[in-house]
Amino acid sequence: MNRLNQLPTLRIDPAEKRTLSYRGKSLPGVAGDTVATALFANGVRIFARSLKYHRPRGLYSLDGECANTMMDVDSIPNVRTENTLLKNGMVVKEQNVKGSAEFDWMGFIDKFDWMMPAGFYYHTMHKPAAVWPHAMKQIRKAAGLGEISPDYVMRGRFDELFLKADVTVVGGGAAGMRAALAAAEGGLRVVLLEARPHLGGCFDYRVSDNGDGTPLYQRARELAEQVAATTNIRVFTHAPLVGTYSNNLITAHQVGSDSDSFTERYIEIRSESIVVATGCIERPLLFDNNERPGVMQVGCAHRLARTYGILPGKQAVFAVGHDLGLEAAIDLFDLGLKIGCVADIREDGQNPDLLMALADRAIPVLKGWVAAKAHGKTVTKVTLTTVEGTVKRDFDCDLLVASAGLTPVTGPFIMAQAKMGYDNHTGYFLPTELPERMFPAGRLTGVGDPRAIEASGRLAGLQAAAACGVSLNGELDAAKAATAALPGPERGCKLVTAPVKGRKSFICFDEDATIKSVKQAIDKGFDVPELVKRFAGVGLGPGQGGIPGHNLPLFVAKYTASSATPKPTTLRPPLVPTFIATYAGAHHHMFKRTPLHKSQKAAGGVFRNIGVWKRARYFSDDFDCREEILNVRGNVGMLDGSTLGKFRIHGPDALKALQRVYVSDMSKVKEGRIKYSAMCNDDGCVIDDGVVVKRGENDYYFTTSTGRAGATVEWIRYHTRFDGWDFHLVNLTDAMGVINLSGPNARKVLAKVTDADLSSEAFPFSGYREITVGGSIPARAMRLGFVGELSYELHVAASYMQAVWDLLEEAGAEFGIRNFGVEAQNVLRMEKCHIILGQESEQRTNLLDVGLGFLWDRTKSACKTVGAVALRQAEKDPNRFKLVGIRMEDDDRPARDGALIVDTKVRGYVATMRKSFTTGEAVGMALVEKPLSDIGTRLEIFEDECNGVRLYARVVKMPFYDPNGERMKA
Amino acid sequence: MALTLTCPVCGKRNGYEFRYGGEDKGPRPAEEGMTPSAWCDYVHMNKCTAGVQKEWWFHRDGCGAWFTTYRDTVANLEVDAPEVTE
Amino acid sequence: MFGKMMPRMGTPKWGQKPLWGRKPRLKSHYDAVIIGGGLHGLATAYYLAKAHGLTDVAIIEKRYIGFGGAGRNTAIVRANQRTQYNVPLYKEALDLWPVLTRELDFNLMFNNCGNLNLMHSEAAMKAARMTIATAQFHGVESHLIDAKEAKALVPALNISEDITFPIHGAMFHPPGGIVRHDAVVWGLAKGCAKHGVHIHQQTEATAIHTENGKITGVTTSRGKIHTPRVLVTAGGYSAGIIYHMLGIKLPISVLTIQAMVTQPLKPILDHVVSSGAYHCYANQTLKGEIATGAHMDPWPNYTTQNTAHYIKHQAEALSDWLPCLRGVKFMRIWGGLADMTPDMAPIMDGNNLIDGFYMDCGWGYFGFKSCSAVGKYMAAFMASGNCPEMLKPFNLKRYENHALMGETAALVSYTPDN
Repeated sequence: MNRLNQLPTLRIDPAEKRTLSYRGKSLPGVAGDTVATALFANGVRIFARSLKYHRPRGLYSLDGECANTMMDVDSIPNVRTENTLLKNGMVVKEQNVKGSAEFDWMGFIDKFDWMMPAGFYYHTMHKPAAVWPHAMKQIRKAAGLGEISPDYVMRGRFDELFLKADVTVVGGGAAGMRAALAAAEGGLRVVLLEARPHLGGCFDYRVSDNGDGTPLYQRARELAEQVAATTNIRVFTHAPLVGTYSNNLITAHQVGSDSDSFTERYIEIRSESIVVATGCIERPLLFDNNERPGVMQVGCAHRLARTYGILPGKQAVFAVGHDLGLEAAIDLFDLGLKIGCVADIREDGQNPDLLMALADRAIPVLKGWVAAKAHGKTVTKVTLTTVEGTVKRDFDCDLLVASAGLTPVTGPFIMAQAKMGYDNHTGYFLPTELPERMFPAGRLTGVGDPRAIEASGRLAGLQAAAACGVSLNGELDAAKAATAALPGPERGCKLVTAPVKGRKSFICFDEDATIKSVKQAIDKGFDVPELVKRFAGVGLGPGQGGIPGHNLPLFVAKYTASSATPKPTTLRPPLVPTFIATYAGAHHHMFKRTPLHKSQKAAGGVFRNIGVWKRARYFSDDFDCREEILNVRGNVGMLDGSTLGKFRIHGPDALKALQRVYVSDMSKVKEGRIKYSAMCNDDGCVIDDGVVVKRGENDYYFTTSTGRAGATVEWIRYHTRFDGWDFHLVNLTDAMGVINLSGPNARKVLAKVTDADLSSEAFPFSGYREITVGGSIPARAMRLGFVGELSYELHVAASYMQAVWDLLEEAGAEFGIRNFGVEAQNVLRMEKCHIILGQESEQRTNLLDVGLGFLWDRTKSACKTVGAVALRQAEKDPNRFKLVGIRMEDDDRPARDGALIVDTKVRGYVATMRKSFTTGEAVGMALVEKPLSDIGTRLEIFEDECNGVRLYARVVKMPFYDPNGERMKA
Repeated sequence: MALTLTCPVCGKRNGYEFRYGGEDKGPRPAEEGMTPSAWCDYVHMNKCTAGVQKEWWFHRDGCGAWFTTYRDTVANLEVDAPEVTE
Repeated sequence: MFGKMMPRMGTPKWGQKPLWGRKPRLKSHYDAVIIGGGLHGLATAYYLAKAHGLTDVAIIEKRYIGFGGAGRNTAIVRANQRTQYNVPLYKEALDLWPVLTRELDFNLMFNNCGNLNLMHSEAAMKAARMTIATAQFHGVESHLIDAKEAKALVPALNISEDITFPIHGAMFHPPGGIVRHDAVVWGLAKGCAKHGVHIHQQTEATAIHTENGKITGVTTSRGKIHTPRVLVTAGGYSAGIIYHMLGIKLPISVLTIQAMVTQPLKPILDHVVSSGAYHCYANQTLKGEIATGAHMDPWPNYTTQNTAHYIKHQAEALSDWLPCLRGVKFMRIWGGLADMTPDMAPIMDGNNLIDGFYMDCGWGYFGFKSCSAVGKYMAAFMASGNCPEMLKPFNLKRYENHALMGETAALVSYTPDN
């Protein structure tokens, strides 16, 4: 097709050629084309088939409000080809067709619509029940539009931007640009978002003038230049808004151009105030076959010619309800389109200049007429009728430009929870109350006069600036006066539907919902738009409410003869379909690494996510960790325990705070000794355990479990928030690392790197000492017994951790020191029956259940210890769980963690169980109901996949290893 | 929704920096003589007001302060001049 | 053409009459009043009328039936809960879908495609093992499978090590799946109407009346009703109604929960797949959309507005474990209310604090999958005044007795008590 190459309004570059591949053929296009305009220029009229009836569909709005032109582009499904700029070499395919879009074998279904009234699926295919699974398979295959491969890899770079702005203007038409310029005058940070690849909005393609002789397209380009020259306006084009939220948060995405470093990017803007100048789209005209290829909206036909240089047809008929339709007819006629007639729904109210121009061109105008039916697979003929349906006339044509009028793009308001109402003058759904600091501008307010559009933009821009605290000295009043002096909102066309029965009048294209099916839904009791939407399937397809959003509530109100004013259906983000890749942006893994991460990795550590950390779980391929375990028991091992929570609490009321959260009497914590204790929640359930040491008067250092480190500060402060106590709490978790040195040779190793006296007399079990390692590195040393051997826990500044580790490794070389990981530690401590919270406990397990009741001091009720009340109330309850030690009857068959203890009911479960390498016994801990907790009780174990075969164990004494603790106290 | 909250120390900040701390139920009651139902009322029970309520928040990704504020639970917006819904 | 040769028949007769009858008149007396026209209310009314002959029942719905959680959930059903109190209840609910489809003569579109719950660590595998053993002990099919087996079922799954939470395996529960949520609402409404139940939409309950510890009536926006029995089962609004109308506080926090769908696709996902670590689930609806959701903003809300934060989070999660979906677009996100309890288990209780007063609430995001069985047992409860064994563990006293149910292993994040 020959393009109209010389138009000053073009947004294509006819000199720069592009190609795309479609149905095995290479088709030409040019720079600036969208995929859809390039196909259209090559004669493609049927782009896709509809979801349910496989009706042919074509170019309709050019702004992607429906699925009509969604295609598969480069293996990406459901691409809105109208909004997607053509890139060289794109491979384009039709979707949802058997055969081709032109000849679709499934097209016959369109004849069977009468068998599928609204809610058809709910009444069929379930009798007999055996039919359903087969029917469902067919439904699934038939449903859906595009296809994605499970192996598909999305190429490209996805970026994200989080901006702060004083004023954000949504919509880069004349009103939006004037708003941005006005807001920027006071030096504010202004952001301007435009969905199309260029600024200009509805001025961009129009040659009518703005009252002073400047054509609108030229005026738009002037404004765009001013915007570009204003340094405090940041412009994002090809960046549709996708969401508005409360407190003026906006999200958008931007499509990168060839020269951008990103494919798409996610944009989130927190603004002080917002101007919404999103303009209007067109309200679809409802008549029979209103979505046939060859039927298109005014803006679509007009922009095809003016923006892309493509004449939309040869012989046209117009059926419109707005002056823009008349303006387009005149302009397109002048560009070479033959026009059989213009039917205007309105009896009167047209701009007389436009009527005169039509008369000058001998284009017949039928007032009070409307399209009744389009004929042909692609349009070949149209039947027009008076709006009452009394008279009909046929016209041959290949293009029917049809539009009931305009409908404002109010999504930004609706998503910001504005209350919406129906405006009788414009026929628009408009906000009745504006969200705070959000200002409407431009055509969406109902104005159509170009000067009024600009003036309303300037006014809104100034209002937005004023909302940011800019003082405007009368400028605001001047702008208000200027707006008031210009024509106000125009009266809109109110016709809901052409006078037809509506069997083929589509109110929603994407889900093939017709006027008839909406009537059926209402007759069945679904008499509000939100219910019709669900039952008949209206506005839930890929285009969401874009096509039916305005017409559905109007139609429902009419059909139910409701006296209430119509209310629009809800609209939800994203306003424009947005790639998951784009939303995800530049996301990356977020985990903390310990100071020893590198050397742990080098030592063969297998890492796992544990809470916010990466931790070495194993140092062997043998996931039972036999060597790691035996080395600790018989020799000496080292564990990186840096993920432990570490805190300092100090200040006059530090002790009081500890008394509040720890169950023990913390006043008994003595310098040089460690105190093991636990924290409960108000339900008495254990949430944390750890050790506390006193380093000075009202100055303590304490540890928490890895998982609780992040919540400890808020926990302690929460439970003391009414007390006004004076204490400081410092989270040292990242600042300090921890090395656990364990095994019978631990003392010998440590002695080689420190001068401190490590003898049991000088540094006994449960002792705390501050020592120097390697001559100069300070370390806080604790003698603990978590794994049940002689062990030292060294707390060292993170920056010294590697140095200390290396010293110990070197010192231990002669003993065969080696790493052990979290899993080995898990087994070692299990043999000692030392619990790990979350493993031997769950949310509802209290302090007494896990056998830690000895930690609880009942005499300190004045401290209002968290959990104490609940413990007192629950301690006599015979139905609670109790943690017990168990041993399998068959030592070669340990039960798996998580196996159930049962009789006729579930009575408990195995928390942790292993076959001990040390003792050769299959032992573990289980939470069981109290009556089953006596030593010697035989337990029946039900494991997953046991096929009825039960295992048996007995309750035995804890711990299983070194019951008197001689080894750890050595 | 995009809640912002006003921390007494750091000012108005993104709501995701904070952690919710429950309806305001007053100071911790004395331990002595606490009945199970009084305990449960303090620990678990809520009024579930649809409207403005006084509630606790913690500035987790900020200064670490616990504070009370008023929020409209229907609009999910902090309220400046509160009139608590009963 | 083919179509023209076919004899043209009229619209089938089920296509014409109102599904749940003409609008009923609000009477001044009913034997039972149910506040809340959601799934639990409809199901209870249905069974009251059908199984217990209590047909003089009114459902009072402020907006329209299915407006709340019933129409907002993502329709997943399963019976692989954690405790022995829950599993039998949900198992019965699962078994009831085909039965109800037949009884109601309404296609509820049960797709028992099976659920996979992904596990991302050895600890999670252990936790899954306990849940699986519990299911198997109660005769519910559920298995632990490894990552490769999961990949065989869900080819789009990313089982590489190079993601935030590498997949170790999954809990596979074949009998679960999805049911068309709207169909259940409308089908039950149809069944209710058939048995004489009055469904009053656009009718708000404004007060519940008691005398001498007994229920006497309900005031609505359309007039007063005398009744000896009231059930409050209004989803997210239950706790507020019960406190503000009767002064009974509940251990409930009402949170906004969100879900979203992508544009429709040809079949790509044959199962319901979920991941606790990613706070994310995904399944493909019969219409072809990928429905996904799970995360909640952890503070109370009655808004159904959604968040920018959440849709982004969801995209990040899916990018990791279902990476092919990066080339797919989100189309719609919406919010609903979840009334959460501290132990993630519901409260079903009644006829004790006030004679004739019943409550069925605290379902969080489990209300859909349980509705059929709960309707059956709540109806038995209301008809006899005696709590059936099945519902006894869900009593309100358990919180005061420090006997949380253990439906969640970990602490919940929306109360300060953790």
